[in-house]
Amino acid sequence: MNAVWLIARNTYREATRDRVLLGMTIAGVVAMLGTQILQPLALGQGDRLTVDLGLTIISMLGLLAVLMVGTSLVAKEIERRTIFNLLSRPLPRPLYLVGKWAGLSAALWTVSGLLGLALCALLTVKGLGARTPAVLEAVYLAGLELSVVTAIAVMCSALSTPVLSALYTLGFYCVGQWSGDLRQFATGAPGALGTLLRVIADLVPNLPVFNMRTLAAGGFTTAPLHLGLASGYAVLYIGCVLALAAAAFESRDFK
Amino acid sequence: MTLTVHQGRVLRMWALALTFGALAVSTAHVMWVTLPHPQPLEELSYYPSGRHLEPATLGHPETAADLAWLRAVQYYGAHRMSDNQFAAMEHVFEVLTSLAPGFVPAYEFGAFALAQEGRDFPAAERLMLRGLEANPASGVLAFQLGFLYYVRPGGRDLAHAAEYFEQAARQSDGPPQSLHFAAFARQNAGDLHVAYELWAEVARHSGNRYLREIADKEMGRIREALETGREELAVRRLTVPRVQMR
Amino acid sequence: MTVSAMPSPTPAPPARPSLDAPPDPALAVETRALWKSYRNPWTMRVTRGIEDLDLGVRRGEVVGYLGPNGAGKTTTIKILTGLHKATRGRAWLLGGRVEEPRSRRQLGFLPEQPYFYDYLSGIEYLELAGRLSGLGAHEAGGRAKQWLGRVGLGQDPRRILRKYSKGMLQRLGLAAALVHEPELLILDEPMSGLDPFGRRDVRELILEQRERGTTVMFSSHILPDVEMLCDRVAIVLKGRLERMATVGELMRGSGQRIEFRCAGRSLAALPTELAAVLTRNERPDETVFTLADATRQQEALAWLVSQHVEVLAVTPQRASLEQLFMATAEGRGTGDPERDARSA
Repeated sequence: MNAVWLIARNTYREATRDRVLLGMTIAGVVAMLGTQILQPLALGQGDRLTVDLGLTIISMLGLLAVLMVGTSLVAKEIERRTIFNLLSRPLPRPLYLVGKWAGLSAALWTVSGLLGLALCALLTVKGLGARTPAVLEAVYLAGLELSVVTAIAVMCSALSTPVLSALYTLGFYCVGQWSGDLRQFATGAPGALGTLLRVIADLVPNLPVFNMRTLAAGGFTTAPLHLGLASGYAVLYIGCVLALAAAAFESRDFK
Repeated sequence: MTLTVHQGRVLRMWALALTFGALAVSTAHVMWVTLPHPQPLEELSYYPSGRHLEPATLGHPETAADLAWLRAVQYYGAHRMSDNQFAAMEHVFEVLTSLAPGFVPAYEFGAFALAQEGRDFPAAERLMLRGLEANPASGVLAFQLGFLYYVRPGGRDLAHAAEYFEQAARQSDGPPQSLHFAAFARQNAGDLHVAYELWAEVARHSGNRYLREIADKEMGRIREALETGREELAVRRLTVPRVQMR
Repeated sequence: MTVSAMPSPTPAPPARPSLDAPPDPALAVETRALWKSYRNPWTMRVTRGIEDLDLGVRRGEVVGYLGPNGAGKTTTIKILTGLHKATRGRAWLLGGRVEEPRSRRQLGFLPEQPYFYDYLSGIEYLELAGRLSGLGAHEAGGRAKQWLGRVGLGQDPRRILRKYSKGMLQRLGLAAALVHEPELLILDEPMSGLDPFGRRDVRELILEQRERGTTVMFSSHILPDVEMLCDRVAIVLKGRLERMATVGELMRGSGQRIEFRCAGRSLAALPTELAAVLTRNERPDETVFTLADATRQQEALAWLVSQHVEVLAVTPQRASLEQLFMATAEGRGTGDPERDARSA
């Protein structure tokens, strides 16, 4: 596990020294402050707007970071052959992938956390401190969602080029957002189609479970059961994806 | 068969992936059953208007409308099989058709579902009129609106039915039966002179011999009614439509 | 200069141990019947990288691994260092199977044209390298500083690798291979990108490691360095190990030539009986006659004297490793005077 820590720390360093995440954090804070300009136009719904847009900014910037940084995480190392210096040491390949995921996840949690705190600070200044618990829960779930998407990005990056990895990851993200609909359609669809829809809904990440933006907009917290199940699901899905990535990565020859 | 070190490692990773995957799927099923999840259309009902939703679709309102349509169909099916309550239906079809004003089947389906299962004829009427406003040259919509008026639960609106059947007959995509439906509706609404002209059109232009014979017969009845001053010879007393849910 | 190809056939090798037999403890690197082939997923055509390779590098020796481009050197090295999976056969590093990551605990590897994380500084990179090879945090820090200085990069340890030149990166790569003081060094073109001073430093490092008892295996295209440093040389051609022997054994019987340096210009026609083995090279103030067959030295000398040529010096010339290698790779002696002149 020391190896995982070393790779994760190195990846975290790489992600945070890269201007991209810093730029996104600053952009996120500026955008949140910018939502206050829309207050007079919101006809009394400004509080909801602040929370909604703030949480969306966190999610969208996080997704952008995964697509820009995460999808080239492993692919870039293979292309540039910096991976030779790592895998020629006593470092099992699966631990390398886990370390990569952990490092980028940590970086994204850092960004989400900072933006979440910025949002809470903004709400407190506006006298809406009571909504902070709901916002923090929503940010926590958004962080879990990003960790899941990061795992997919690492898997794609280990097997494909950066551009294709970004496309595949985005594809998984979009279909994952519709997994609830797929499950719903499956209940009404006949025979083989229903089964197929159910299988697809099971295979793609169940991203709606990480979305409590609607609740948070109204200042409502969610049940501990929801948080617990979402956390457990995230851990299991990430484990599955990284194990698949490791299985494929084991057989890879590096040119 | 002995496995190489490498093969063993790959198999172990697959086994781990399948184990995690199975547990993840089980957890997802537990979440689906245990946690509240948005029913189809609930999310759409959060939006005040489809017009305001359009900017968020980033240039793809048609796709958003398609997804909304899928949900609308699911919503209808789910409630049709259960409580027959369609409280969100009008709003959702408003959102859907705002995103895709040219989506004619959405107006048709929505209006009839609202009128019959939804028991909300005014909402159905509003939806169809909006559809015609967005698609003034649509003979299909005009005909369907005419038909909606014709089968209005509690009392047919033959005057409006006739008006829209005639409009449909003037459009290139109007169903071929529009003209004789218009004639029939006018006749039974009591507007005999217009009905006569419409039947004359049918007799002149219909390619169906049976319809031409009917047109001739109806023209004869109208002539007799006009000559004798006895409208009841030409105007039928039609049944009052009712919605029966099975 | 004419160099014969492979000299006398080697004695029959000992019986090959079975794949399942334990590794030889005297060997730092051992391969048995190692194969690597690549299948094109579209055409299903199979290309062979290495074929039936039996390689043994003894502990403590320095081995040069030679071959033309595409011979399979890098493929072999990548299998040994865990970057490729062998198709068939076995390979061990210091008694550990190469498939096991722990077999690389005492391995220091320098890839060809190494690349590094350009956002790290030199000291950070060496610390990471040391820790990944099993050093503790404190020890890794100390060693990183020490080796950075040893390779001449210690004056600015915090400089970002993005600002390193190619030669600096090569030296950093060496330091990363040595930071954990491994028992086995595998270096792929360690002299690449270095100026003569850099090459000298690398040679000294390799010799230092040999003194320390480290096993060194390196591939290089700079054959004079190989000749100077290596206890043994392995020549691989088209994926097969062609020959593995000491430099002396390779040179023995490869054919000596004799060079006669003569004053002034000589217009004498070469005698028919010596025409096949005697060549003339005119230089501004002298003429050099080269005799490919050293056994006919007296005959050639007698002819020169008979032509009243003033012989200034008679010098035996041994074939260089480079010449031997090229002849081996081409599968024949060249017999081409111009080519000989280029290779002399």
